[in-house]
Amino acid sequence: MTFHQINLTVNGEAEQVVVASNVTLMRMLRENLALTGVKNGCSAGECGACTVLMNGEPVNSCMVLAVECEGAEIITVEGLAKDHQLDPLQSALINEGGVQCGFCTPGVLMSARALLNRNPQPGEDQIREALVGNLCRCTGYTRIVEGIQAAAAISAAGGRP
Amino acid sequence: MIRNTHPTLPEFEYIRPQSVGEACDFLTRHAADARPFLGGTDVFVRMRDGVLNPKYLVDVKALPGMQEIRFDPQSGLTIGAAVNMNRVIAAAETREHYPLLADACRSVASYQLRSRATVVGNICNASPAGDTLGACLAFNGVLHIQSSQGVRQELLSNFFRGPGKTTLQTGEIAAALFLPLPHAGSQGVYIKLGRNKLSDLSLVGVTALGYPDPGAPSGYRFRLILASVAPTPLIAKQAEDCLAAQPVTPASIQEAARLASEACAPIDDVRGSARYRKQMVKNLSARALTSVWEKLNRRGQNDISSD
Amino acid sequence: MNEPHNKVSISPVGENKPRIDAREKVTGAAIFADDLQFGSALLHARIKRSPHPHALIKKVDVSKARALPGVKAVVTGEDFPGYIGLYLQDRYIFCRDRVRYIGDPVAGVAAISEEIAHQAVELIEVEYEVLPPVLDPEFGASAQAPLLHPDLAKYVVANFIFPEGGTNISNHFKIRKGNVEEAWGQCAAVIERKYHVPHIQHVPIEPHVATARVDETGEITLWGSSQSPFAQRNLIAQSMGISQSKMRVIAPFVGGGFGCKAGVSMEALAVAIASQVKGRPVKLLLTREEEFYTAFVRQGLTAYFKIGCDEKGRLLAMENKFYWDGGAYTEYGVNITRASGYSSSGPYEVPNIKTDSYCVYTNHPVGGPMRGFGMPEMHAGLEQCIDELAHAIGMDAVEFRRRNCLKTGSVLVTGSQMHPTGLPQCIEKAAEAIGWGWKAAPSAPNKRRGKGLALMWKAPAMPPNAGSSAWVELAEDGSVSVGVGGQDIGQGVFTVAAQMAAAALGVPYESVRVATPVDTRYSPYEWQTVASRLTWSMGNAIVNAARDARQQILKTVSEAWEESPNDLDIVNGVVISFKTEREIPLKNLVIYGLPKPDGQGWRGGPVVGRGSFMPTYVTGLDAETGQGERAVVHYTTGAQAVELEIDLETGRIEILKGVSAFDVGKAINPELVKAQMEGGFVQGMSSALFESLQLRNGAVQNPSFVDYRIATAVDAPKDLQAYIIEVPQDDGPWGARGIGEHSMVPTIPAIANAIYDAVGVRLDGPPFTAEKVYLAMVDAGIIQ
Repeated sequence: MTFHQINLTVNGEAEQVVVASNVTLMRMLRENLALTGVKNGCSAGECGACTVLMNGEPVNSCMVLAVECEGAEIITVEGLAKDHQLDPLQSALINEGGVQCGFCTPGVLMSARALLNRNPQPGEDQIREALVGNLCRCTGYTRIVEGIQAAAAISAAGGRP
Repeated sequence: MIRNTHPTLPEFEYIRPQSVGEACDFLTRHAADARPFLGGTDVFVRMRDGVLNPKYLVDVKALPGMQEIRFDPQSGLTIGAAVNMNRVIAAAETREHYPLLADACRSVASYQLRSRATVVGNICNASPAGDTLGACLAFNGVLHIQSSQGVRQELLSNFFRGPGKTTLQTGEIAAALFLPLPHAGSQGVYIKLGRNKLSDLSLVGVTALGYPDPGAPSGYRFRLILASVAPTPLIAKQAEDCLAAQPVTPASIQEAARLASEACAPIDDVRGSARYRKQMVKNLSARALTSVWEKLNRRGQNDISSD
Repeated sequence: MNEPHNKVSISPVGENKPRIDAREKVTGAAIFADDLQFGSALLHARIKRSPHPHALIKKVDVSKARALPGVKAVVTGEDFPGYIGLYLQDRYIFCRDRVRYIGDPVAGVAAISEEIAHQAVELIEVEYEVLPPVLDPEFGASAQAPLLHPDLAKYVVANFIFPEGGTNISNHFKIRKGNVEEAWGQCAAVIERKYHVPHIQHVPIEPHVATARVDETGEITLWGSSQSPFAQRNLIAQSMGISQSKMRVIAPFVGGGFGCKAGVSMEALAVAIASQVKGRPVKLLLTREEEFYTAFVRQGLTAYFKIGCDEKGRLLAMENKFYWDGGAYTEYGVNITRASGYSSSGPYEVPNIKTDSYCVYTNHPVGGPMRGFGMPEMHAGLEQCIDELAHAIGMDAVEFRRRNCLKTGSVLVTGSQMHPTGLPQCIEKAAEAIGWGWKAAPSAPNKRRGKGLALMWKAPAMPPNAGSSAWVELAEDGSVSVGVGGQDIGQGVFTVAAQMAAAALGVPYESVRVATPVDTRYSPYEWQTVASRLTWSMGNAIVNAARDARQQILKTVSEAWEESPNDLDIVNGVVISFKTEREIPLKNLVIYGLPKPDGQGWRGGPVVGRGSFMPTYVTGLDAETGQGERAVVHYTTGAQAVELEIDLETGRIEILKGVSAFDVGKAINPELVKAQMEGGFVQGMSSALFESLQLRNGAVQNPSFVDYRIATAVDAPKDLQAYIIEVPQDDGPWGARGIGEHSMVPTIPAIANAIYDAVGVRLDGPPFTAEKVYLAMVDAGIIQ
């Protein structure tokens, strides 16, 4: 088995890790970097709990090899808050009650962050469509959608640079 | 029987060749146990299931041209094999000239999966359920295939040989998809029926494309391609001919839809029954053709009013 | 500064306090069981499973697996002779002589990596003698069926479960009330129907995970994603033949449970394997695929209903037969059979009723508790029959329910009287919110709209003496720590626990934290996080603990101030006297007490309040008639209504609107209550439209998210409404009853009734897939 040394940026920090070929980005984040906010729900690219941003785009980190991330910029849920200041999405999800068991929450937040980055004022249908890859069994989705709408409104009012 | 799914990806060696030549050589030398991969969305799942067990995965995404999407107003659109579906959807060229392909891509899985999934990968998997295959066939797509011998071009209509089976040979790499310029005035629609509203595999997929053709008796030509109802994407030729041969009316559209339904040979599987699929081919073909026909007429009116 | 003390304290009970765990969960800081770090000592376990639904084990050869480098232990059933089970001890940890479902654990491996463990499992060779399987519960209950548990009569069983030895019936619950045979003659209309409700899976997004370590002295520590740390402590200790005090279970946040993480399932496997590699933690993480066929599933149900009413629409009689497809082991499922039996009238007063509810062994995946505990399955058919019966006598279905539904004082199916209930208000609210009686035009010519409504009732199903306990401890700064043994599985019970402790003690909500993770070594006992019982039962324990702490505090202060404790109160963390207007913040006394005058010593000291609760008033039911004084603690009731649209060309259903109205007694946190109603509706909707484990010869054909679809954000209705009715419960804290499960109980029949309203077809059971609806419309001649 060959090991690969890779350099990448994770949540703004330069990291160097050594991984085997078959280690996924999800496993590398959880096991090498202890970023356990990245959740393993299916290891098959279906549930979205492991969603992270890779070079700004959301990916199922269980479906990306760590070795493919040479030079990549990765943002996980742990990198959303800046200096203990929550991302408006995080605050809004708390305020609107979009969190129950919390297992899908990190992936939901990353999909939502990517959505607002590409479309700061999405309509309800666009929000729901952007979440089809994030399964939630607790909430019925309503309060998650409301949270994302609220965050978009806060951002529109200048809540985040 | 049960399948003892691997808890994580089984072991393999990751290979990143620097050139096409190197890649093709490697794949030829390790014919039995090497596979090229793009987004991995299909390969990884099948490796976990134990269906595929390659010793080497050859990452071809960084090879020259693989990440390019290029539109030539004289000839058409070239999509590098490693261009992910979200890029295809977002590209202005796709939206303007091939909106049908963008729609088909949008129906695939989820946004985050489409960050990895590619159209060429979708084509090479040759799943009968592949959502983008119909659009690519409707646009008369051509696959650019690299090997140590050079590049060969394969018409997509000749490419699919069965579920997971294509004319791709050992040592070959699908490098790009070329879509010629669509016929002037083309209008298309992709209707996908899944078990739930979005993100499912297609139970039935209907791709319809129409364009004015003064050479056709009806004045139009249509393409109708069906997913998940045959071992390969099914071109409903009789339905297409039916609408070229006689004036397009609600009745002829129903007739074409019936022909499409008769042409397909779906199976019963875990997703749905053959009986339902056959009926859905009829209903959704009619719906897709009607929608295309309405778009063609709307466009016609717009053209007149803008003159 | 002397503030007047007659101001009324603002109780956090009834307030929409933000979730106590929300910040941890949105930042990725919340620790779930798979997130715990064990370093390089950690071993990974994988399980060798039966490929046959039913077979005898002739030989297990593990030699090749043992020889594989990196393998540290291989265990089989030989090593673990003890039975295990909650209500009926009918399973071994690893199979010993016989396998009873595809996926039954035969051997386990611990290795230095998951991949090596996986390879080792492939090297284990098992010889089987394949036996004919039982794949249908009705057949299983018959005399022709092969016996799956020949030793059934010898199993240890709870005294309210009635197995029939020599058959595959592991519980037979009966109701005999009134005289059904006589009543049929008086009926103006009788509906007879058969329904089938398929197996489904809970599908928490977090798969099951358990890590176990056994030390040199044999003490066991288990870290797991668990709804039932105490039940796991008890049952695993019993099965392994050790003292409960040597078994410690630590349960961090649970990423969704819905019942499948209750009782004991795969946790015992991790413990058993760890016992062979002393000192090293062993982790077993189910793959999503294993999750679908080896974790608890919701039992299938074949149900027969015969229901009749008189010409005025008064329900006169019911005759019900339920065949529960309990699967290979029914250690937990037997009580679902009982619960559905003592609730088999639905939320109606029915003078004559006869019910036979059978739990039947089959060679299907193991049935277990799932949100609703038999009620969604039973109501699925029952509430459709009610609609049909109303139509049969020409009465509006809501009016029919108004007349027959349980009211305060109604006589129940078990012979006792209904406690105060707001079910009639729930019906009114749901009917009003859905716009009952008014039909909107469909959104397109090829679509049809319909509305449906259904009622429900459900009691916590548990042993009569399931207990709770709690402690309340104060720190130097007056902040409060609440110890509980119940688990937050997403429902928000830690938040509610803090609200109740704050209210009962007289401190601000913000100063209360819950002592987590639940750890059986330090946390107080709790039976299980199931049955929607925590707000009620654990809540009572918390109130008792807070009162105990409060009494200790007031005693110290009253002695110091030489006042009567009756004149003192704790408001916002300050002890105040209504008489003298003196005040002292809690932080000044709760650890170090108060000095006596003139250096004469001290009084008081660290404050720890303790409380427990156990219902002592639940009585048994007669084994032959199912009649008794008080079968259960109480029933939560409610109604749901839906509006949907059906595409005639595809059969696809779109749920446009979902309305829930439940009588929760008292909403401790109304927004959390509504969140339960919304989430439960969508889970119920998902089970109604999409979900079934497709079993063929005992094998699950769709063990993945690819082919087991659950509702996504685009499938859930945009318009989800939730209404809280509050008719207080006499034995609940502030009058509260549970709501966790109830919100998915009436969803299937509400949707089924709406489908009928839209297109006039009835299906024999969920899921109401586009295909089934379409083909039913074709077969009924509704479309060509």
